[in-house]
Amino acid sequence: MRRVLALAVSLALIGAAAFSAAAAPAVTPQRGGVAIIGHGTDAVILDSALATDAPTFTILEHMVETLFELTAEGKVRPRLALSQSVAADGKTWTFRLRQGVRFHDGTPFDAEAAKFNLDRVLDTATRSPWRFLISRITAVSVVDASTIRVVTDAPFAPLLAHLTHGGMGMQSPAAIRRLGVDYGRQPVGTGVFKFKEWVRGDRVVVTRNDDFYGDKAFLDDVQFRVIPDDGARLAALEAGSIHVAVRVPPREIERLKTSSTLSVEVSTSLRTIYVAFNVTRPPFTDRRLRQALNYAVNKRAIVASALAGTARVSDAPIAPNVEGYSAIAGYDWDLERAEALLREAGYSRARPLRAVFHHPSGRYIRDAEIAASIQGLARRAGIELELRTLEFGAYIALTARPQAQNDIQMYMLGWGTVTGDADYGLYALFHSSQFPPVGFNRGFYKNDRVDVLLDRGRVTIDQSERDKIYAEAMKIITDDAAWLFLHSESQVTGVRGTAQGVIIHPAERVMFTRAWLRR
Amino acid sequence: MWAYIAKRLLLAIPVILGVAFVVFAMVRIVPGDPAQVIAGEAATKEFVEAVRKDLGLDRPLLEQFVSFVGNLLRGDFGRSVRSRAPVVLEVRARLPNTISLTLAGMLVAITVGVTAGVVSAVRPYSLVDTSVMLVALAGLSMPVFWSGLMLILVFAVWLGWLPAVGTGTPAHLILPAVTLGMATAAIIARMTRSSMLEVLRSDYIRTARAKGLAEPSVVSRHAFRNALIPVITVVGLQMGTLLSGAVLTESVFAWPGIGRLLVEGILTRDYPIVQAAVLVVAMAFVLVNLFVDVLYAIADPRIHYD
Repeated sequence: MRRVLALAVSLALIGAAAFSAAAAPAVTPQRGGVAIIGHGTDAVILDSALATDAPTFTILEHMVETLFELTAEGKVRPRLALSQSVAADGKTWTFRLRQGVRFHDGTPFDAEAAKFNLDRVLDTATRSPWRFLISRITAVSVVDASTIRVVTDAPFAPLLAHLTHGGMGMQSPAAIRRLGVDYGRQPVGTGVFKFKEWVRGDRVVVTRNDDFYGDKAFLDDVQFRVIPDDGARLAALEAGSIHVAVRVPPREIERLKTSSTLSVEVSTSLRTIYVAFNVTRPPFTDRRLRQALNYAVNKRAIVASALAGTARVSDAPIAPNVEGYSAIAGYDWDLERAEALLREAGYSRARPLRAVFHHPSGRYIRDAEIAASIQGLARRAGIELELRTLEFGAYIALTARPQAQNDIQMYMLGWGTVTGDADYGLYALFHSSQFPPVGFNRGFYKNDRVDVLLDRGRVTIDQSERDKIYAEAMKIITDDAAWLFLHSESQVTGVRGTAQGVIIHPAERVMFTRAWLRR
Repeated sequence: MWAYIAKRLLLAIPVILGVAFVVFAMVRIVPGDPAQVIAGEAATKEFVEAVRKDLGLDRPLLEQFVSFVGNLLRGDFGRSVRSRAPVVLEVRARLPNTISLTLAGMLVAITVGVTAGVVSAVRPYSLVDTSVMLVALAGLSMPVFWSGLMLILVFAVWLGWLPAVGTGTPAHLILPAVTLGMATAAIIARMTRSSMLEVLRSDYIRTARAKGLAEPSVVSRHAFRNALIPVITVVGLQMGTLLSGAVLTESVFAWPGIGRLLVEGILTRDYPIVQAAVLVVAMAFVLVNLFVDVLYAIADPRIHYD
């Protein structure tokens, strides 16, 4: 008996060992093939200095590179620059550039080219919407063929993070000079892929750059197809016409779990969804009422129902993968506390708090449904919200009015901290110098201590110091309940099993630079 | 006849100018500062002002309109404010797609609609008639974004017979054309049926039967051509509607046509695109109307133009 048992156990062990070996074979990426991704919109203009939307930048970043890159984990890493150093005054930066790199048209990437591109963004005639990211730069100069010097007017801590932004892409000066305003139809960069064709309204196709200085791509081509309807895009993924589909409706995740041909990736993004209060107009001049709303709204329930769990309840005004983030104790759902605050402020069920709540429709994931949920939840605490929506262009115009004309009481918006740095996520939204039309502090929030902290955060180079500064600023902003804090969106992307190595970057870029197709 | 056609084409010019004025004015009256929308939600004030100046939106309206018409007469539709590409390029990339979808849709609509209408008319109030009209009603009532998605689900996802979305091969045209054609087929079917019924009741048909002609001959040679006039009218109107952009069909099937271009242009306040797209659509309507009028003359020898 014992011998049989021993034999059985040994056989089982051998079997288990064989199984685990079979389950994890070494997978070699296969070369070749055309990967197809479905986006919701077409590229707008293929010029990194002028592009504004995520789909266009996704396409561009396959072809055009920046001096530094923001990794998927939120770290700044050298790319076309090899190293950087800053002088003691904190204002003079020296960047050593990678040598032997050529643009897709054969012209060299060197210090002259780097200077050309930075100057181009800084030149007001270019009309780059990203100029403000590096506007503190006063001069860019060529030290030698592979070194440039950048001088800022004051120490500017977020400079490297801002240089990772897609708007700072290095493009061929020769091509830009030659094509002028038509450059935006056929970009020339240094990247893993180069431009092949753009059938307007239908697709952009990029092809492998065989002269790339680093690891060459596995794929032959990548096609970025335009499929505006969410349902049709998902159907195309299920039918196998495309390999990747962005923005899969969260409600479909449950059904797709059982699929053997595709998987749904839920990944973080850098976009925070919030409701801002106009703190200069009644009723939300009263902090207790802002806090009451924060306690009354069950953010977890909203994420679970409207977003099928695919979002992260905010515990800070910025998303966790932003440099400078720390978790701030927030407002958990507490109906009693909400009602107590309302009573203290003089409201009751007989005399309810009333406000008008503006929200967009179809701009953010399930924005109208979330607004309706907030209305329903607020009603349980005795707060009556009237919902109003507008087409997005008109909505932005309405919320961007200066203080004197801005009669909005509360409005929903999203903010993507695309530089991955807290300065971008906080300064423009909470500093008192950033009231519209200058900036985006459309709630007209003003706190002297927060102003001081945000200013200091910009000029402090040491990251751990900055983390402390931003933590204090965010604590004050949270206590002041400047916003009804909601959630940070997740990206819900469908990927077919045949597509491997697809990277989904928090800045809403789906990258095929290391991707391959299993045949 | 040719003189008539030439005259009609000349008359099209003031029509187009009128449309140009209306669209120019409307696009500027709609709320939402275009410079702000074009600059983007994350744009600074200086940038928005720079955009405004660059687009000439700070010039007086009359000056803008004069320059717009001047360029138009030279065939210059300007550049898209978002992509900075010549508008002609955007329109030229999409117009063939809209034309092919419209023609395919109309082919489906006419084939199915006229056949259904004739079949119903020759057996009025029978089971065939009732069921055909019921199906027509269903086709008319189904929203395009639902029926389109259902067709994609059945034929592309479940059966895998046809491609789901996009363009490229004739096979790509089938599902969008059927989706688009269904509603129009229903309208044509009802129109054909009522027109045929009326014609079949007339005296000359009774004469034809009295002469001893076989029923199929009566229907095809005598009744059908006479019933066509109202049907041609409907076909002409529907074709204009389809050309102006079956926006929903284009969105569901990712078909890059004029309709989607127009809607995207409106949402992004891309004036030059909106102006060009509306003008193209107006031109299409004018041409379709002319074509329909010429068809009348061919179908009915009693109609003369001079």
